[in-house]
Amino acid sequence: MRELMRWLFGLAGGNNETSSEVARNRMRLVLIQDRIDLSPEKMEQMKREIWEVVSRYMVVDEEFKEFEVRRLDELVMLVSNIEVKDLSALMSARAT
Amino acid sequence: MKGRTIVITSGKGGVGKTTATANLGSALAMRGHRVVVIDTDIGLRNLDVIMGLENRIVYDLVNVVEGKCRLRQAMIQDKHKLELYLIPAAQTREKDSVSPEQLKAVCAELEEEYDYILIDCPAGIEQGFKNAVAAAGEAVIVTTPEVSAIRDADRVIGLLEASGLHRPKLVINRISAEMVKRGDMMGQGDVEALLAVEVIGLVPADERTVSAANRGIPVVHDDRSSAGGAFTRIAARIDGEEVPLQEIEPRPGMFNRLRDMVGMKGRAYSHA
Repeated sequence: MRELMRWLFGLAGGNNETSSEVARNRMRLVLIQDRIDLSPEKMEQMKREIWEVVSRYMVVDEEFKEFEVRRLDELVMLVSNIEVKDLSALMSARAT
Repeated sequence: MKGRTIVITSGKGGVGKTTATANLGSALAMRGHRVVVIDTDIGLRNLDVIMGLENRIVYDLVNVVEGKCRLRQAMIQDKHKLELYLIPAAQTREKDSVSPEQLKAVCAELEEEYDYILIDCPAGIEQGFKNAVAAAGEAVIVTTPEVSAIRDADRVIGLLEASGLHRPKLVINRISAEMVKRGDMMGQGDVEALLAVEVIGLVPADERTVSAANRGIPVVHDDRSSAGGAFTRIAARIDGEEVPLQEIEPRPGMFNRLRDMVGMKGRAYSHA
């Protein structure tokens, strides 16, 4: 019965997170912190500083589309994606 | 041809390393290979009990490295007369009675004569782990779909990389398809995405694993066990055979059968 209820709510587009979704989201953050040995505060600070540097040269979105430490085989990479809002700013930055 | 030494590790205790070692060792031997399984959990040995060989121990790994006996004397043959041998850990010795170099030498000697040497690694990331990793050329990580096991597995993957053991393979143990389907357990896709390593096997939670351990007979000998079947397939993959991963199906309950009858689909969950 509970399954039926959940299924019906799922159909209705309810945003009740299942416990496995909660676990996945928590682990995503925990593993990043473990991997880079950096506190969440330091991580936020780095993100902000990177944004500040980038926005000196081009107009970019306030939020990173992606900002995470990922492992690809033996490489550990900081992957960050940020949307460029104004391309002309990028061009003029290049000209100087 | 030289044998392959594979460490079975997890970080967290109680996720099924010893069970995996006993079953993969048995399954590889059943495929006709010559196999040695080594318990490196000095002071807390258990592989002997899982394999039902606890009454046959005379010498152990520490006796071997101290030169108290020959390697061959510490090797106990499996009950099923397979070409499968156990080297038990010492039960009443200190954790540091074996050094990485000593275990490496033991494995190098075994590689000359055996196809597979499986090292049952102790939980944790201390001396026993370092020994096991130093001696191995490949690694299999065992985890369960639980936050604590996954976090520890991730740490271990990092440590393996750091010591030059690249591309470890992942076994996800004790998956309950019912719970995954309900959204109360992370599925294969979730675990794979978090840990970013290749999954080599999905083992369903199976009560028959517990009764097999009670009897001291690895569950791969039980034809009716779904976990046994999963371990048999993992052994085939380790052996280089292409065996597709099988989705772990919930046992058909009344509701599921009803839903299948009317052709409705539940929410998508992981595929094997």
